[in-house]
Amino acid sequence: MDHPQTQMIRRKFADSQVILIDHYKEVFNRPAQSFAAQSHSKKLILARKEGTFLHEGSQYSDGFDYQQFFYASSIMGCLYDCDYCYLQGLYPSANTVLFVNIEDAFEQLRPYLGKDTLVATSYDTDTLAIESLTHQTSMWLDFADQYENLYLEIRTKSANIKSLKSITLNPRVTLAWTLSPQEIINAYEHATPSLEKRLGAVVEAITLGWKVRLCIDPVIYTEKFAILYTELIEQVFRTIDPEAIEHLTLGSFRMSQSHLRSLKKLRRSDVAFYPYVVRDEMATYSEAIETHILETLLAKATQYLPKERIRTWQRQS
Amino acid sequence: MIYLITALDAEARPLCEYYRLKRDTSLPYTLYRNEEIVLVVSGMGRTNALMAVSALLGWRIPEEKDILINIGICGAPSEYRIGEALLIHQILDGDRRYYPDILYSHSLRETSMRCVDVPQSVLSDYPVDMESSPIFQAASRFFKLHQMAFLKIVSDHCTPELVTKEGVIELLRSHVNSLDTLISRLSAVQKQPPLFSTDERNTIEVFKTHFTKSQGSAIDDALTYFRLRNKGEFPPLNPLIPNSKRERSQLLEELIATLTA
Repeated sequence: MDHPQTQMIRRKFADSQVILIDHYKEVFNRPAQSFAAQSHSKKLILARKEGTFLHEGSQYSDGFDYQQFFYASSIMGCLYDCDYCYLQGLYPSANTVLFVNIEDAFEQLRPYLGKDTLVATSYDTDTLAIESLTHQTSMWLDFADQYENLYLEIRTKSANIKSLKSITLNPRVTLAWTLSPQEIINAYEHATPSLEKRLGAVVEAITLGWKVRLCIDPVIYTEKFAILYTELIEQVFRTIDPEAIEHLTLGSFRMSQSHLRSLKKLRRSDVAFYPYVVRDEMATYSEAIETHILETLLAKATQYLPKERIRTWQRQS
Repeated sequence: MIYLITALDAEARPLCEYYRLKRDTSLPYTLYRNEEIVLVVSGMGRTNALMAVSALLGWRIPEEKDILINIGICGAPSEYRIGEALLIHQILDGDRRYYPDILYSHSLRETSMRCVDVPQSVLSDYPVDMESSPIFQAASRFFKLHQMAFLKIVSDHCTPELVTKEGVIELLRSHVNSLDTLISRLSAVQKQPPLFSTDERNTIEVFKTHFTKSQGSAIDDALTYFRLRNKGEFPPLNPLIPNSKRERSQLLEELIATLTA
Protein backbone atom coordinates (compact mmCIF):
# COMPACT_ATOMS: atom_id res chain seq x y z
CA MET A 1 0.00 0.00 0.00
CA ASP A 2 2.90 2.35 0.74
CA HIS A 3 4.76 1.74 -2.51
CA PRO A 4 5.00 5.00 -4.49
CA GLN A 5 3.50 3.34 -7.58
CA THR A 6 0.53 2.07 -5.57
CA GLN A 7 -0.07 5.55 -4.23
CA MET A 8 0.27 7.14 -7.67
CA ILE A 9 -2.20 4.69 -9.22
CA ARG A 10 -4.67 5.02 -6.35
CA ARG A 11 -4.68 8.78 -6.84
CA LYS A 12 -5.74 8.20 -10.46
CA PHE A 13 -8.65 6.05 -9.30
CA ALA A 14 -9.72 8.24 -6.41
CA ASP A 15 -13.41 7.40 -6.91
CA SER A 16 -12.97 3.68 -7.39
CA GLN A 17 -13.92 0.97 -4.99
CA VAL A 18 -10.84 -0.37 -3.20
CA ILE A 19 -10.78 -3.86 -1.69
CA LEU A 20 -7.85 -4.75 0.54
CA ILE A 21 -6.45 -8.21 -0.08
CA ASP A 22 -3.51 -10.14 1.38
CA HIS A 23 -2.18 -11.67 -1.82
CA TYR A 24 -3.12 -11.20 -5.47
CA LYS A 25 -3.70 -14.94 -5.86
CA GLU A 26 -6.69 -14.91 -3.51
CA VAL A 27 -8.54 -12.90 -6.18
CA PHE A 28 -6.71 -13.69 -9.41
CA ASN A 29 -6.54 -17.46 -8.88
CA ARG A 30 -10.03 -18.03 -7.48
CA PRO A 31 -11.84 -21.10 -8.75
CA ALA A 32 -15.15 -20.60 -10.62
CA GLN A 33 -14.22 -17.35 -12.37
CA SER A 34 -15.55 -16.63 -15.85
CA PHE A 35 -12.84 -15.17 -18.07
CA ALA A 36 -15.44 -14.28 -20.70
CA ALA A 37 -17.74 -12.45 -18.26
CA GLN A 38 -14.84 -10.64 -16.57
CA SER A 39 -13.54 -9.43 -19.94
CA HIS A 40 -16.37 -6.88 -19.98
CA SER A 41 -15.59 -5.55 -16.50
CA LYS A 42 -11.90 -5.95 -15.76
CA LYS A 43 -10.58 -5.09 -12.31
CA LEU A 44 -7.09 -3.87 -11.49
CA ILE A 45 -5.14 -5.75 -8.83
CA LEU A 46 -2.05 -4.03 -7.40
CA ALA A 47 0.49 -6.39 -5.90
CA ARG A 48 4.11 -6.89 -4.95
CA LYS A 49 5.82 -9.64 -6.93
CA GLU A 50 7.69 -12.10 -4.76
CA GLY A 51 9.52 -14.23 -7.32
CA THR A 52 11.35 -13.56 -10.53
CA PHE A 53 10.20 -10.99 -13.06
CA LEU A 54 12.41 -12.48 -15.77
CA HIS A 55 11.73 -15.57 -17.83
CA GLU A 56 13.56 -17.07 -20.77
CA GLY A 57 11.95 -16.35 -24.14
CA SER A 58 9.88 -19.22 -25.49
CA GLN A 59 9.96 -21.19 -28.74
CA TYR A 60 6.85 -19.31 -29.86
CA SER A 61 8.74 -16.06 -30.26
CA ASP A 62 11.80 -14.67 -32.01
CA GLY A 63 14.86 -13.89 -29.86
CA PHE A 64 16.59 -12.07 -32.75
CA ASP A 65 19.82 -14.01 -32.12
CA TYR A 66 20.88 -12.07 -29.03
CA GLN A 67 23.14 -13.94 -26.61
CA GLN A 68 20.37 -13.88 -24.01
CA PHE A 69 16.66 -13.36 -24.47
CA PHE A 70 14.30 -12.77 -21.57
CA TYR A 71 10.83 -11.48 -21.20
CA ALA A 72 9.81 -9.48 -18.17
CA SER A 73 6.49 -10.14 -16.55
CA SER A 74 5.50 -7.11 -14.53
CA ILE A 75 1.82 -7.26 -15.48
CA MET A 76 -0.50 -10.26 -15.71
CA GLY A 77 -3.44 -9.78 -18.04
CA CYS A 78 -3.98 -7.17 -20.70
CA LEU A 79 -6.13 -4.12 -21.28
CA TYR A 80 -6.87 -5.43 -24.76
CA ASP A 81 -9.04 -8.44 -25.40
CA CYS A 82 -7.81 -10.42 -28.40
CA ASP A 83 -9.61 -13.67 -29.15
CA TYR A 84 -6.41 -15.42 -30.22
CA CYS A 85 -4.38 -14.42 -27.18
CA TYR A 86 -2.81 -17.22 -25.16
CA LEU A 87 -3.40 -15.28 -21.93
CA GLN A 88 -6.97 -16.60 -21.96
CA GLY A 89 -5.52 -20.08 -21.69
CA LEU A 90 -2.73 -19.11 -19.33
CA TYR A 91 -4.64 -17.23 -16.65
CA PRO A 92 -7.81 -18.13 -14.75
CA SER A 93 -8.91 -14.49 -14.67
CA ALA A 94 -9.41 -11.63 -17.12
CA ASN A 95 -8.48 -9.14 -14.42
CA THR A 96 -5.13 -7.38 -14.57
CA VAL A 97 -2.43 -7.79 -11.93
CA LEU A 98 0.09 -4.97 -11.88
CA PHE A 99 3.26 -5.63 -9.90
CA VAL A 100 4.32 -2.30 -8.51
CA ASN A 101 7.87 -3.26 -7.44
CA ILE A 102 9.40 -3.01 -10.92
CA GLU A 103 12.68 -1.93 -9.32
CA ASP A 104 13.13 -5.58 -8.30
CA ALA A 105 13.01 -6.58 -11.99
CA PHE A 106 15.94 -4.25 -12.66
CA GLU A 107 17.88 -5.74 -9.75
CA GLN A 108 17.23 -9.26 -11.03
CA LEU A 109 18.40 -8.30 -14.53
CA ARG A 110 21.63 -6.51 -13.56
CA PRO A 111 23.78 -9.69 -13.11
CA TYR A 112 23.04 -10.74 -16.72
CA LEU A 113 24.06 -7.50 -18.36
CA GLY A 114 27.66 -8.46 -19.07
CA LYS A 115 26.45 -9.94 -22.37
CA ASP A 116 24.13 -8.67 -25.09
CA THR A 117 20.68 -9.27 -23.70
CA LEU A 118 17.28 -8.73 -25.26
CA VAL A 119 14.38 -8.13 -22.90
CA ALA A 120 10.82 -8.10 -24.19
CA THR A 121 8.97 -5.86 -21.75
CA SER A 122 5.49 -6.39 -23.13
CA TYR A 123 5.49 -10.08 -23.88
CA ASP A 124 2.72 -11.02 -21.45
CA THR A 125 0.73 -7.84 -21.85
CA ASP A 126 0.69 -4.54 -23.73
CA THR A 127 2.63 -2.26 -21.40
CA LEU A 128 2.39 0.77 -23.66
CA ALA A 129 -1.42 0.52 -23.63
CA ILE A 130 -1.45 1.34 -19.91
CA GLU A 131 1.66 3.49 -19.81
CA SER A 132 -0.24 6.56 -18.70
CA LEU A 133 -1.29 4.58 -15.63
CA THR A 134 1.91 2.69 -14.78
CA HIS A 135 4.86 4.62 -16.29
CA GLN A 136 6.65 1.26 -16.41
CA THR A 137 7.82 1.66 -20.00
CA SER A 138 9.45 4.96 -19.08
CA MET A 139 11.15 3.25 -16.14
CA TRP A 140 12.45 0.48 -18.43
CA LEU A 141 13.77 3.06 -20.87
CA ASP A 142 15.54 4.96 -18.10
CA PHE A 143 17.09 1.71 -16.91
CA ALA A 144 18.13 0.66 -20.45
CA ASP A 145 19.89 3.98 -20.87
CA GLN A 146 22.45 2.91 -18.24
CA TYR A 147 23.45 -0.47 -19.76
CA GLU A 148 25.09 -0.77 -23.16
CA ASN A 149 24.39 -4.50 -23.47
CA LEU A 150 20.70 -4.19 -22.78
CA TYR A 151 18.31 -4.20 -25.73
CA LEU A 152 14.58 -3.78 -25.27
CA GLU A 153 11.67 -4.80 -27.43
CA ILE A 154 8.42 -3.04 -26.58
CA ARG A 155 5.65 -4.72 -28.51
CA THR A 156 2.28 -3.02 -28.71
CA LYS A 157 -1.00 -2.43 -30.48
CA SER A 158 -1.34 0.92 -28.77
CA ALA A 159 -1.68 4.24 -30.53
CA ASN A 160 -0.61 6.16 -27.48
CA ILE A 161 3.06 7.08 -27.66
CA LYS A 162 2.76 10.35 -25.78
CA SER A 163 5.09 9.08 -23.06
CA LEU A 164 7.88 8.45 -25.58
CA LYS A 165 8.02 12.07 -26.64
CA SER A 166 9.77 13.22 -23.50
CA ILE A 167 12.28 10.36 -23.38
CA THR A 168 15.80 10.45 -24.82
CA LEU A 169 16.10 8.20 -27.85
CA ASN A 170 17.84 4.90 -27.28
CA PRO A 171 19.07 3.05 -30.40
CA ARG A 172 18.99 -0.24 -28.46
CA VAL A 173 15.22 -0.01 -28.00
CA THR A 174 12.86 -1.31 -30.65
CA LEU A 175 9.20 -0.43 -30.70
CA ALA A 176 7.30 -3.24 -32.37
CA TRP A 177 3.75 -2.74 -33.61
CA THR A 178 1.44 -5.64 -34.21
CA LEU A 179 -0.66 -4.89 -37.28
CA SER A 180 -3.71 -6.68 -38.62
CA PRO A 181 -6.24 -5.96 -41.36
CA GLN A 182 -9.08 -3.81 -40.01
CA GLU A 183 -11.54 -6.64 -40.66
CA ILE A 184 -9.45 -8.94 -38.43
CA ILE A 185 -9.17 -6.20 -35.77
CA ASN A 186 -12.95 -5.81 -35.79
CA ALA A 187 -13.52 -9.54 -35.48
CA TYR A 188 -10.79 -10.63 -33.06
CA GLU A 189 -8.89 -7.75 -31.46
CA HIS A 190 -11.50 -6.23 -29.15
CA ALA A 191 -10.81 -2.89 -27.47
CA THR A 192 -7.68 -2.27 -29.54
CA PRO A 193 -6.89 0.83 -31.61
CA SER A 194 -7.81 0.77 -35.30
CA LEU A 195 -5.21 -0.01 -37.95
CA GLU A 196 -5.22 3.62 -39.00
CA LYS A 197 -4.44 4.78 -35.46
CA ARG A 198 -1.67 2.21 -35.04
CA LEU A 199 -0.12 3.30 -38.33
CA GLY A 200 -0.37 6.91 -37.18
CA ALA A 201 1.58 6.00 -34.03
CA VAL A 202 4.19 4.16 -36.10
CA VAL A 203 4.72 7.21 -38.31
CA GLU A 204 5.01 9.41 -35.24
CA ALA A 205 7.54 7.08 -33.56
CA ILE A 206 9.65 7.00 -36.73
CA THR A 207 9.53 10.79 -36.96
CA LEU A 208 10.73 10.97 -33.35
CA GLY A 209 13.66 8.76 -34.36
CA TRP A 210 12.73 5.48 -32.65
CA LYS A 211 13.72 2.16 -34.15
CA VAL A 212 10.54 0.45 -35.31
CA ARG A 213 9.65 -3.13 -36.21
CA LEU A 214 6.33 -4.13 -37.74
CA CYS A 215 4.76 -7.47 -36.91
CA ILE A 216 2.06 -9.07 -39.00
CA ASP A 217 1.86 -11.82 -36.50
CA PRO A 218 -0.29 -13.70 -35.77
CA VAL A 219 -1.85 -14.07 -39.20
CA ILE A 220 -5.36 -15.45 -38.88
CA TYR A 221 -6.29 -17.64 -41.81
CA THR A 222 -9.77 -17.04 -43.20
CA GLU A 223 -11.29 -17.46 -46.63
CA LYS A 224 -10.36 -13.84 -47.40
CA PHE A 225 -6.86 -14.15 -46.00
CA ALA A 226 -4.97 -13.39 -49.22
CA ILE A 227 -6.97 -10.26 -50.03
CA LEU A 228 -7.00 -8.93 -46.47
CA TYR A 229 -3.32 -9.39 -45.74
CA THR A 230 -1.92 -8.30 -49.12
CA GLU A 231 -4.07 -5.16 -48.88
CA LEU A 232 -2.70 -4.67 -45.37
CA ILE A 233 0.89 -4.76 -46.62
CA GLU A 234 -0.01 -2.31 -49.39
CA GLN A 235 -1.68 0.03 -46.90
CA VAL A 236 1.26 -0.19 -44.49
CA PHE A 237 3.80 0.79 -47.11
CA ARG A 238 1.60 3.51 -48.58
CA THR A 239 1.80 5.09 -45.12
CA ILE A 240 5.28 4.13 -43.96
CA ASP A 241 8.60 4.43 -45.74
CA PRO A 242 10.00 0.86 -45.89
CA GLU A 243 13.49 2.27 -45.35
CA ALA A 244 12.41 3.60 -41.97
CA ILE A 245 11.63 0.24 -40.41
CA GLU A 246 14.09 -2.23 -38.97
CA HIS A 247 12.24 -5.47 -39.72
CA LEU A 248 8.93 -6.83 -40.78
CA THR A 249 7.96 -9.98 -38.88
CA LEU A 250 5.52 -12.45 -40.39
CA GLY A 251 4.04 -15.40 -38.52
CA SER A 252 0.88 -17.44 -38.56
CA PHE A 253 -1.24 -18.20 -35.50
CA ARG A 254 0.26 -20.78 -33.15
CA MET A 255 -0.46 -21.79 -29.61
CA SER A 256 0.36 -24.55 -27.17
CA GLN A 257 -2.28 -27.26 -27.19
CA SER A 258 -3.06 -26.82 -23.51
CA HIS A 259 -3.76 -23.10 -23.95
CA LEU A 260 -5.91 -23.89 -26.98
CA ARG A 261 -7.95 -26.33 -24.91
CA SER A 262 -8.62 -23.60 -22.35
CA LEU A 263 -9.58 -21.22 -25.15
CA LYS A 264 -12.12 -23.74 -26.44
CA LYS A 265 -13.77 -23.96 -23.04
CA LEU A 266 -14.50 -20.24 -23.22
CA ARG A 267 -16.38 -20.72 -26.53
CA ARG A 268 -15.80 -17.08 -27.36
CA SER A 269 -14.32 -17.15 -30.81
CA ASP A 270 -14.02 -19.28 -33.92
CA VAL A 271 -10.22 -18.89 -33.73
CA ALA A 272 -10.15 -21.59 -31.06
CA PHE A 273 -12.09 -24.10 -33.15
CA TYR A 274 -10.19 -24.15 -36.42
CA PRO A 275 -8.85 -27.67 -37.18
CA TYR A 276 -5.22 -26.92 -36.41
CA VAL A 277 -2.51 -29.50 -36.73
CA VAL A 278 -0.98 -30.34 -33.36
CA ARG A 279 2.60 -31.53 -33.23
CA ASP A 280 4.93 -31.52 -30.25
CA GLU A 281 2.18 -29.84 -28.19
CA MET A 282 2.01 -26.90 -30.61
CA ALA A 283 -1.18 -26.18 -32.56
CA THR A 284 -0.89 -24.29 -35.82
CA TYR A 285 -2.14 -24.41 -39.39
CA SER A 286 -1.28 -27.39 -41.59
CA GLU A 287 2.09 -27.17 -43.28
CA ALA A 288 0.38 -26.49 -46.63
CA ILE A 289 -1.62 -23.54 -45.24
CA GLU A 290 1.32 -22.21 -43.26
CA THR A 291 3.50 -22.29 -46.36
CA HIS A 292 0.73 -20.66 -48.39
CA ILE A 293 0.44 -17.88 -45.79
CA LEU A 294 4.15 -17.19 -45.72
CA GLU A 295 4.63 -17.42 -49.49
CA THR A 296 1.72 -15.07 -50.15
CA LEU A 297 2.89 -12.51 -47.60
CA LEU A 298 6.56 -12.79 -48.53
CA ALA A 299 5.77 -12.27 -52.21
CA LYS A 300 3.95 -9.05 -51.32
CA ALA A 301 6.37 -7.83 -48.65
CA THR A 302 9.45 -8.31 -50.83
CA GLN A 303 7.98 -5.73 -53.21
CA TYR A 304 8.85 -3.21 -50.51
CA LEU A 305 11.63 -4.73 -48.39
CA PRO A 306 14.69 -6.87 -49.04
CA LYS A 307 14.27 -10.42 -47.80
CA GLU A 308 16.95 -10.05 -45.14
CA ARG A 309 14.78 -7.47 -43.35
CA ILE A 310 11.80 -9.79 -43.22
CA ARG A 311 11.69 -12.30 -40.40
CA THR A 312 9.31 -15.20 -40.48
CA TRP A 313 8.10 -17.60 -37.85
CA GLN A 314 7.58 -21.14 -39.07
CA ARG A 315 7.30 -24.39 -37.19
CA GLN A 316 10.66 -26.20 -37.05
CA SER A 317 10.19 -29.53 -38.76
CA MET B 1 -34.00 -19.61 -12.35
CA ILE B 2 -33.27 -17.10 -9.59
CA TYR B 3 -32.22 -18.68 -6.30
CA LEU B 4 -32.87 -16.53 -3.23
CA ILE B 5 -31.50 -17.50 0.16
CA THR B 6 -32.66 -15.93 3.41
CA ALA B 7 -31.87 -17.01 6.94
CA LEU B 8 -35.16 -15.95 8.53
CA ASP B 9 -38.87 -16.34 7.77
CA ALA B 10 -39.25 -12.64 8.43
CA GLU B 11 -36.72 -11.87 5.67
CA ALA B 12 -38.55 -14.14 3.24
CA ARG B 13 -42.07 -12.84 3.88
CA PRO B 14 -41.94 -9.52 2.00
CA LEU B 15 -40.19 -11.23 -0.91
CA CYS B 16 -42.87 -13.92 -1.09
CA GLU B 17 -45.53 -11.21 -1.17
CA TYR B 18 -43.74 -9.12 -3.80
CA TYR B 19 -42.88 -11.99 -6.13
CA ARG B 20 -46.05 -13.97 -5.33
CA LEU B 21 -44.10 -17.03 -4.28
CA LYS B 22 -46.03 -20.13 -3.22
CA ARG B 23 -45.00 -22.64 -0.59
CA ASP B 24 -43.35 -25.79 -1.97
CA THR B 25 -42.83 -28.94 0.08
CA SER B 26 -40.27 -30.66 -2.12
CA LEU B 27 -37.49 -30.26 0.45
CA PRO B 28 -37.34 -30.51 4.24
CA TYR B 29 -36.75 -26.75 4.31
CA THR B 30 -39.08 -23.81 4.11
CA LEU B 31 -39.24 -23.32 0.37
CA TYR B 32 -41.21 -20.90 -1.80
CA ARG B 33 -41.28 -20.61 -5.55
CA ASN B 34 -42.87 -19.34 -8.72
CA GLU B 35 -41.85 -20.05 -12.31
CA GLU B 36 -38.74 -17.89 -12.15
CA ILE B 37 -37.73 -17.79 -8.51
CA VAL B 38 -37.06 -20.34 -5.82
CA LEU B 39 -36.49 -19.10 -2.27
CA VAL B 40 -35.21 -21.17 0.63
CA VAL B 41 -35.23 -20.13 4.29
CA SER B 42 -32.07 -21.70 5.61
CA GLY B 43 -32.33 -20.92 9.30
CA MET B 44 -29.68 -18.96 11.16
CA GLY B 45 -26.01 -19.78 11.28
CA ARG B 46 -23.23 -21.55 9.46
CA THR B 47 -24.42 -25.17 9.52
CA ASN B 48 -28.03 -24.39 8.63
CA ALA B 49 -26.97 -22.21 5.70
CA LEU B 50 -24.48 -24.75 4.36
CA MET B 51 -26.96 -27.61 4.51
CA ALA B 52 -29.94 -25.70 3.12
CA VAL B 53 -28.02 -24.31 0.12
CA SER B 54 -26.43 -27.69 -0.62
CA ALA B 55 -29.84 -29.36 -0.48
CA LEU B 56 -31.46 -26.71 -2.69
CA LEU B 57 -28.76 -26.74 -5.35
CA GLY B 58 -28.46 -30.52 -5.32
CA TRP B 59 -32.22 -30.77 -5.77
CA ARG B 60 -32.36 -28.35 -8.65
CA ILE B 61 -28.93 -28.05 -10.23
CA PRO B 62 -28.37 -24.52 -11.57
CA GLU B 63 -27.98 -23.87 -15.29
CA GLU B 64 -25.62 -21.44 -16.96
CA LYS B 65 -28.07 -18.54 -16.96
CA ASP B 66 -29.19 -18.92 -13.33
CA ILE B 67 -28.21 -16.61 -10.48
CA LEU B 68 -28.15 -16.79 -6.68
CA ILE B 69 -28.69 -13.97 -4.20
CA ASN B 70 -28.31 -14.15 -0.46
CA ILE B 71 -30.47 -11.40 0.98
CA GLY B 72 -30.91 -10.61 4.64
CA ILE B 73 -30.14 -8.37 7.55
CA CYS B 74 -26.74 -7.66 9.09
CA GLY B 75 -25.22 -5.83 12.02
CA ALA B 76 -22.80 -3.04 11.16
CA PRO B 77 -20.51 -0.36 12.58
CA SER B 78 -22.15 2.97 13.22
CA GLU B 79 -20.93 4.55 9.96
CA TYR B 80 -23.50 2.39 8.18
CA ARG B 81 -27.02 3.74 8.34
CA ILE B 82 -29.79 1.51 9.71
CA GLY B 83 -31.81 0.42 6.69
CA GLU B 84 -28.91 0.91 4.27
CA ALA B 85 -28.54 -1.81 1.60
CA LEU B 86 -25.01 -3.14 1.15
CA LEU B 87 -23.55 -5.15 -1.70
CA ILE B 88 -20.80 -7.42 -0.39
CA HIS B 89 -17.56 -7.61 -2.37
CA GLN B 90 -15.48 -9.53 0.18
CA ILE B 91 -16.50 -12.06 2.81
CA LEU B 92 -14.06 -12.48 5.68
CA ASP B 93 -14.30 -15.71 7.61
CA GLY B 94 -11.37 -16.27 9.97
CA ASP B 95 -8.32 -16.62 7.72
CA ARG B 96 -10.44 -17.29 4.63
CA ARG B 97 -11.66 -14.64 2.24
CA TYR B 98 -14.22 -14.99 -0.52
CA TYR B 99 -14.94 -12.64 -3.40
CA PRO B 100 -18.16 -12.62 -5.41
CA ASP B 101 -17.47 -11.03 -8.81
CA ILE B 102 -19.37 -7.76 -9.23
CA LEU B 103 -19.29 -7.26 -13.01
CA TYR B 104 -22.23 -4.88 -13.33
CA SER B 105 -22.82 -1.24 -12.47
CA HIS B 106 -25.02 -0.47 -9.47
CA SER B 107 -25.77 2.30 -7.01
CA LEU B 108 -25.47 0.29 -3.79
CA ARG B 109 -22.76 0.83 -1.22
CA GLU B 110 -20.12 -1.87 -1.55
CA THR B 111 -18.36 -3.26 1.47
CA SER B 112 -16.55 -6.20 3.00
CA MET B 113 -18.44 -8.37 5.47
CA ARG B 114 -17.29 -10.50 8.36
CA CYS B 115 -19.09 -13.81 8.74
CA VAL B 116 -19.35 -14.77 12.41
CA ASP B 117 -20.69 -17.65 14.47
CA VAL B 118 -22.99 -15.83 16.91
CA PRO B 119 -24.87 -12.52 16.92
CA GLN B 120 -22.42 -9.72 17.73
CA SER B 121 -22.91 -7.29 20.58
CA VAL B 122 -19.51 -5.66 20.10
CA LEU B 123 -18.92 -3.38 17.15
CA SER B 124 -16.79 -5.01 14.47
CA ASP B 125 -14.60 -3.32 11.82
CA TYR B 126 -17.02 -4.45 9.09
CA PRO B 127 -20.69 -5.37 8.86
CA VAL B 128 -21.33 -8.86 10.20
CA ASP B 129 -23.67 -11.73 9.34
CA MET B 130 -23.77 -15.45 10.08
CA GLU B 131 -24.48 -17.09 6.73
CA SER B 132 -22.61 -15.41 3.86
CA SER B 133 -19.45 -17.54 4.04
CA PRO B 134 -21.11 -20.99 4.02
CA ILE B 135 -23.56 -19.84 1.34
CA PHE B 136 -20.64 -18.67 -0.81
CA GLN B 137 -18.74 -21.92 -0.21
CA ALA B 138 -21.67 -24.16 -1.10
CA ALA B 139 -22.93 -22.06 -4.01
CA SER B 140 -19.53 -21.61 -5.67
CA ARG B 141 -19.55 -25.36 -6.38
CA PHE B 142 -22.53 -24.73 -8.66
CA PHE B 143 -22.27 -21.11 -9.78
CA LYS B 144 -19.56 -18.97 -11.34
CA LEU B 145 -18.51 -16.13 -9.08
CA HIS B 146 -20.29 -13.49 -11.17
CA GLN B 147 -23.61 -15.33 -10.84
CA MET B 148 -23.80 -14.78 -7.08
CA ALA B 149 -24.55 -11.67 -5.02
CA PHE B 150 -24.84 -10.92 -1.33
CA LEU B 151 -27.27 -8.14 -0.50
CA LYS B 152 -27.40 -7.16 3.17
CA ILE B 153 -29.55 -4.58 4.90
CA VAL B 154 -28.24 -2.99 8.07
CA SER B 155 -30.62 -3.83 10.90
CA ASP B 156 -28.60 -2.68 13.93
CA HIS B 157 -25.31 -1.34 15.16
CA CYS B 158 -24.44 -4.61 16.90
CA THR B 159 -27.45 -4.49 19.18
CA PRO B 160 -29.14 -7.70 17.99
CA GLU B 161 -31.43 -7.76 21.00
CA LEU B 162 -33.23 -4.72 19.56
CA VAL B 163 -34.04 -6.38 16.24
CA THR B 164 -37.69 -7.43 15.98
CA LYS B 165 -39.53 -9.64 13.51
CA GLU B 166 -41.70 -6.70 12.40
CA GLY B 167 -38.59 -4.56 11.97
CA VAL B 168 -36.95 -7.19 9.76
CA ILE B 169 -40.07 -7.49 7.58
CA GLU B 170 -40.16 -3.72 7.16
CA LEU B 171 -36.44 -3.49 6.32
CA LEU B 172 -36.73 -6.15 3.62
CA ARG B 173 -39.96 -4.68 2.28
CA SER B 174 -38.25 -1.32 1.86
CA HIS B 175 -35.58 -2.96 -0.34
CA VAL B 176 -37.53 -5.20 -2.71
CA ASN B 177 -36.78 -2.66 -5.45
CA SER B 178 -33.06 -2.88 -4.68
CA LEU B 179 -33.36 -6.65 -5.02
CA ASP B 180 -35.32 -6.32 -8.25
CA THR B 181 -32.67 -4.09 -9.77
CA LEU B 182 -29.89 -6.38 -8.58
CA ILE B 183 -31.61 -9.37 -10.18
CA SER B 184 -31.83 -7.65 -13.56
CA ARG B 185 -28.21 -6.40 -13.43
CA LEU B 186 -26.89 -9.77 -12.36
CA SER B 187 -28.95 -11.63 -14.96
CA ALA B 188 -27.73 -9.32 -17.71
CA VAL B 189 -24.07 -10.25 -17.14
CA GLN B 190 -24.34 -13.79 -18.46
CA LYS B 191 -26.18 -13.51 -21.69
CA GLN B 192 -24.39 -15.98 -23.89
CA PRO B 193 -27.11 -17.70 -25.89
CA PRO B 194 -26.47 -21.35 -26.74
CA LEU B 195 -24.78 -21.83 -30.10
CA PHE B 196 -27.07 -24.64 -31.14
CA SER B 197 -30.79 -25.15 -30.73
CA THR B 198 -31.98 -28.27 -28.91
CA ASP B 199 -32.91 -29.88 -32.25
CA GLU B 200 -29.51 -29.09 -33.71
CA ARG B 201 -27.75 -30.44 -30.64
CA ASN B 202 -29.75 -33.67 -30.86
CA THR B 203 -28.91 -34.07 -34.55
CA ILE B 204 -25.23 -33.51 -33.82
CA GLU B 205 -25.20 -36.04 -30.99
CA VAL B 206 -26.89 -38.71 -33.17
CA PHE B 207 -24.44 -38.03 -36.00
CA LYS B 208 -21.47 -38.32 -33.64
CA THR B 209 -22.49 -41.85 -32.59
CA HIS B 210 -21.13 -43.10 -35.95
CA PHE B 211 -17.64 -41.88 -35.12
CA THR B 212 -14.96 -42.35 -32.48
CA LYS B 213 -14.75 -40.04 -29.48
CA SER B 214 -11.90 -38.00 -30.91
CA GLN B 215 -13.65 -37.75 -34.28
CA GLY B 216 -16.74 -36.59 -32.36
CA SER B 217 -14.70 -33.80 -30.77
CA ALA B 218 -13.43 -32.78 -34.20
CA ILE B 219 -17.05 -32.62 -35.45
CA ASP B 220 -18.02 -30.45 -32.45
CA ASP B 221 -15.08 -28.12 -33.07
CA ALA B 222 -15.81 -27.74 -36.78
CA LEU B 223 -19.53 -27.06 -36.19
CA THR B 224 -18.70 -24.54 -33.46
CA TYR B 225 -16.22 -22.83 -35.80
CA PHE B 226 -18.90 -22.72 -38.51
CA ARG B 227 -21.53 -21.29 -36.16
CA LEU B 228 -19.26 -18.73 -34.52
CA ARG B 229 -18.36 -17.42 -37.96
CA ASN B 230 -22.08 -16.79 -38.44
CA LYS B 231 -22.38 -18.91 -41.49
CA GLY B 232 -26.03 -19.72 -40.75
CA GLU B 233 -27.46 -23.21 -41.20
CA PHE B 234 -24.87 -25.92 -41.17
CA PRO B 235 -24.95 -28.59 -43.90
CA PRO B 236 -27.16 -31.65 -43.34
CA LEU B 237 -25.58 -34.18 -41.02
CA ASN B 238 -27.57 -37.19 -42.12
CA PRO B 239 -25.89 -38.54 -45.23
CA LEU B 240 -25.60 -42.28 -45.55
CA ILE B 241 -22.89 -43.33 -43.15
CA PRO B 242 -20.51 -45.73 -44.87
CA ASN B 243 -19.70 -49.01 -43.17
CA SER B 244 -16.02 -48.94 -43.85
CA LYS B 245 -13.82 -47.17 -41.37
CA ARG B 246 -11.72 -45.63 -44.13
CA GLU B 247 -14.77 -44.21 -45.94
CA ARG B 248 -16.16 -42.81 -42.68
CA SER B 249 -12.86 -41.03 -42.07
CA GLN B 250 -12.99 -39.68 -45.61
CA LEU B 251 -16.56 -38.42 -45.04
CA LEU B 252 -15.47 -36.74 -41.83
CA GLU B 253 -12.50 -35.08 -43.47
CA GLU B 254 -14.72 -33.66 -46.23
CA LEU B 255 -17.29 -32.41 -43.72
CA ILE B 256 -14.66 -30.62 -41.61
CA ALA B 257 -13.11 -29.11 -44.74
CA THR B 258 -16.52 -27.77 -45.80
CA LEU B 259 -17.32 -26.36 -42.37
CA THR B 260 -13.96 -24.67 -41.89
CA ALA B 261 -13.32 -23.50 -45.47
